[in-house]
Amino acid sequence: MTFFRNGTFRYVVGRLGQALLQLLGVVTIVFIILRLTGDPAQLLVPQNATADDIVRIRHQLGLDQPIWTQYLQYLGGIARGDFGFSYVQNRPALDLIGERLPYTVELAIAALLISVLVGIPIGMISAVNRKRFIGRASMVFVLIGQSMPAFWLGLLLILVFGVWLQVLPTSGAGSILAMILPAVTLASLSFATVARITRSSFLEQLNAEYVRTARSHGAGTGRVLFGHVLRNAAIPIVTLIGLEIASLLGGAVITETIFAWPGIGQLTVQSIDARDFPVVQAIVLFVAVVYIAANFVTDMLYSVIDPRVRLIAVEG
Amino acid sequence: MNAQAPRSAARRRFLRSLPAAAIAAATALILSGCTFGAPASNAGGASSTPATGATSIAIDISNYPSTLDPGLQYDSSTYSVYRNIYDQLLRRDPKTQQPTAWIATKWSNPTPTTWDFTIRSGVTFSDGSPLTAEDVAFSISRIIDPKFSSPQFANFSAISAATASSPTELTITTAAPSPTLLSYLTTLSIVPKAYVEKVGNAGLNTNPIGSGPYEVASATSGSQITLKANPGFWGTKPSIPEVVFRAVPDASSRVADLQSGQAQLALDLTSDQATQLKSASGVQVLSAPTERVAYLALNVLGDTPTKNEDIRKAIALGIDYDSIIKNLLGGYAKPVGTVLTPLSLGYPDKLAANKYDPAAAKKLVQESGIANPTLVFPSSPSYNPQLIQAIQSDLQKIGITVTIKNTDQATYLKSVQSPSHDWGSIRFGLWSCSCLDADGVLLPLFKTGSIWASYSNPDFDAAVTSARKSLDATERKKDYATAIGILNKDVAGIGLYQVSAVYGASSKLTWKPDAVQSLYVDQMKLGK
Amino acid sequence: MTNIQRNPQSTVALATMQMPGLNGSRWAKLRSMRAVLPFAVIIVLYIVLAAAPALFVGAPSLTSDLSARLLPPGTAHGGAVHLLGTDQLGRDVFNRLIYGTRVSLVIAFSAVVCSGIFGTALGVAAGVLRGATAAIIMRLTDIILSVPFFLLAILTVVALGPSLLNVVLCLTFVRWPRYTRVAYAQTLEAEGKEFVRSAQAIGARGMWIVWRYILPEVLPSVLVVGTLELGTMVIYEASLSFIGLGVQPPTPSWGAMLSDGREYIASAWWLTAFPGLALFLLVLSVNMLGDFVRDRLDPTERGRLQ
Repeated sequence: MTFFRNGTFRYVVGRLGQALLQLLGVVTIVFIILRLTGDPAQLLVPQNATADDIVRIRHQLGLDQPIWTQYLQYLGGIARGDFGFSYVQNRPALDLIGERLPYTVELAIAALLISVLVGIPIGMISAVNRKRFIGRASMVFVLIGQSMPAFWLGLLLILVFGVWLQVLPTSGAGSILAMILPAVTLASLSFATVARITRSSFLEQLNAEYVRTARSHGAGTGRVLFGHVLRNAAIPIVTLIGLEIASLLGGAVITETIFAWPGIGQLTVQSIDARDFPVVQAIVLFVAVVYIAANFVTDMLYSVIDPRVRLIAVEG
Repeated sequence: MNAQAPRSAARRRFLRSLPAAAIAAATALILSGCTFGAPASNAGGASSTPATGATSIAIDISNYPSTLDPGLQYDSSTYSVYRNIYDQLLRRDPKTQQPTAWIATKWSNPTPTTWDFTIRSGVTFSDGSPLTAEDVAFSISRIIDPKFSSPQFANFSAISAATASSPTELTITTAAPSPTLLSYLTTLSIVPKAYVEKVGNAGLNTNPIGSGPYEVASATSGSQITLKANPGFWGTKPSIPEVVFRAVPDASSRVADLQSGQAQLALDLTSDQATQLKSASGVQVLSAPTERVAYLALNVLGDTPTKNEDIRKAIALGIDYDSIIKNLLGGYAKPVGTVLTPLSLGYPDKLAANKYDPAAAKKLVQESGIANPTLVFPSSPSYNPQLIQAIQSDLQKIGITVTIKNTDQATYLKSVQSPSHDWGSIRFGLWSCSCLDADGVLLPLFKTGSIWASYSNPDFDAAVTSARKSLDATERKKDYATAIGILNKDVAGIGLYQVSAVYGASSKLTWKPDAVQSLYVDQMKLGK
Repeated sequence: MTNIQRNPQSTVALATMQMPGLNGSRWAKLRSMRAVLPFAVIIVLYIVLAAAPALFVGAPSLTSDLSARLLPPGTAHGGAVHLLGTDQLGRDVFNRLIYGTRVSLVIAFSAVVCSGIFGTALGVAAGVLRGATAAIIMRLTDIILSVPFFLLAILTVVALGPSLLNVVLCLTFVRWPRYTRVAYAQTLEAEGKEFVRSAQAIGARGMWIVWRYILPEVLPSVLVVGTLELGTMVIYEASLSFIGLGVQPPTPSWGAMLSDGREYIASAWWLTAFPGLALFLLVLSVNMLGDFVRDRLDPTERGRLQ
């Protein structure tokens, strides 16, 4: 194949370079903004510390150096695989993230499952029953989900299921039951998006020539639906799911705060509050890597499947 | 578009989109070590809802301990856990609150700057090694080593050396006579020297080995930590074999856990929640006055209306202390007459509580000569916003406009501790030294040059410095009476109230909270 | 076709553009207009409340009255009836709810306008100037979009200090890339069109071309993004307030009211119920209206959807 010849190879390398540059840009921006937020020295000393203690700690953490020196040290560290030590816990930042990340991934996957299991059927129903009541009603349901602020939903769920009915735990990560409320809260926005995309791609398919042709040949709605429509409609849905994962991973801050779910969302807020720079930087780096990597690999596969994409990119 | 085209086009599009989904998910999972099944199973066998009853107690704390190394952190959530794993050199007597024997059985004070301690024999760490005076000396030395960066450094900075002359004899030398040494030694947790030297500080944090009544059974970082009774403990076996500390940052969730029986003890509740619990069944409210004092510090040095003495006096007279205590704090507080509580040594015996006299306050504001005084009141989420706004409201009523400046804690500290004293006019604080002594309160808050003091009075400085140097309680009390007199006259600080710690507990729990908010589970009893 | 560009930010935009209801007939248009009317009324009501709250509830309830804490809705106290109860400082909830409208609307609207103008300007600039400028702008866009929005927002507000202005600045900083991408794509498309090339051929100057020909092509898509963003900005402002990074007390903000009320969720449900409801209604109405506007603005989509 022509895969390893000049054009494509250059394209791949070019995109790889762009991806790395993007990563560097992300890390730099966050690095700078973090240092604009002040410094953690005062938070790390006990209340009866003296001014000298604060100066000493600042020096120990290297925070009294000019920002560019700190920046280069940070980059050098990353090159060596050292992502910094948490100021608060004095442990490698990666360890902290490693401990908390599985919780967020768990929650994100649960939320995604809910979005998909609820969103797709609703989208399908409202597409197929566009003119009827049930179709309209399901779109209203979707709209409500989209407009509902996640934290309000979370609080309402706590009120109903935790306080009044007392059937579900409202905080912590002790059991599978404890995951239900936060997952539903997190799913509320993405289920609406999934439902909408399902609906529109179904609508499009239903109107497409080949469906009408199949129907005019006497094929029943069911067969048409599940035979062709579902398969074709699946494409944009799956794309969306992939992208939602990245956004769920990066977010979930509010949900984890309300439900005290010990994931990286909660860790992010806590670390920013505590000015734990290494941890915040590590979190940002991680999420950016996931996001950029996902985009990058997809780009690569696109260009393999559709050479026009590559050519346009090279030219423009 | 013919019927055939969609299929191959569809397939292409399908293939195109799958990678995005798969890669995003896979990258995340791979990078996280694919351990997402682990957390649920990491609870170490002990279920998240421990069976209520005498075999296990679940305690809801506000934050997961940031470290289990007792030298590296001593905020209440953290020490609540590790002080059950490690022994302290001394403990406080539950009735008198005075330091009594624990690991040290007796002590003497041959010269004003030397202290000899006899260390209990027969104590072993949970790995079987014996606890000796060497371990105590080591525990102290690491804290006073500036390179270790212990937050307790200031508490023990009076100590110049700690040496073990024999496995059961320890000598502590202080640079100057230290009247608060014994008090602070009740917060000294003893770590095993050989173990720490072997595994390092990081190792101590991940696998703590102590000699206390409990040892770590399992830990789920960020979520909960389970302790079980230490079979080799030298003292009376605790009556509750298992303790689960659950990190629940949200206070209303802690209350909900109590009500549903998922927790048997909840820390750091507000008075509103206590009121809510009082009417619930199966739960009780435990509370005890503490040595923590709520205060307002005034900026006397900066360019702000509080530079004016009349304004300061007006502020002191213009706050409705009783209303705050009764309505805002539900009675879980007591009035005070200065920035100190009666439980601390140095609180003058007959000191009257602060007076509320809005009429006199209004007059003082007018006499101050400042038209429309406007104060800046910096604050952060660490402080009760209701209280801040209540104070703002009170001062509004006597003719002083108050602008609240909310920032997060780091920004707040930076501004308030700035030596240029331009942080504003008044600030609120809650102070406790856990030493039950005025030395730990007045000095760091108001002595010239302290990071917290926007006030400078050489007579005050002389009084508190002299009190620090003497070991004679009577002399010290006299010095503090002088210092407090000066402080109150200058109105550099206003004592708002003495904090009562509020705990929610199952009605089957028997426990008496103490004045320094210690949490020794071995002192608790839990009925079935 | 359902064109999900690998551009997640416009994914939602494109997906929601395909709302139903329009099939070109007048009857259908009228029907959907009737459906949207109540929401338009709600928004107008909110705007009126934000502009002149004093007309409805009098002076703002800013001072605390500790003897009137946590009264349930409908309680009479001190000569007045507290329709929605009082909060933890004794202030009237209804009053604060109305005054809170101001904060939500002002911040959300300003954020959308500022980020929209800034982002569109950059996008058009990138499309017109091409070359290195375009590359830099689009790279910057990608970079900012790679950082989880909320994290960046928190960081920015913490760095600037929480205040109304800074929240608007922060939201602008974080959201402008969304407009840039759409504006850039539309600018490129517009430039390819005949009339632009003819204009260039007869020597028309750059800025004039941009103003006269390109912007009208760009604006509909940008407005589409803007209507989507409005609801989102309301929620994000409330989220920032919720974690304490919004406008400062005693200025009421719904997000802050929700956060304050969290502690009392079991004992004083009205503290969380009403601000949340107010938020929800606003966002719902904005979204409904936004869908309606989008349908009108996007003739191409309408044509495709039959």
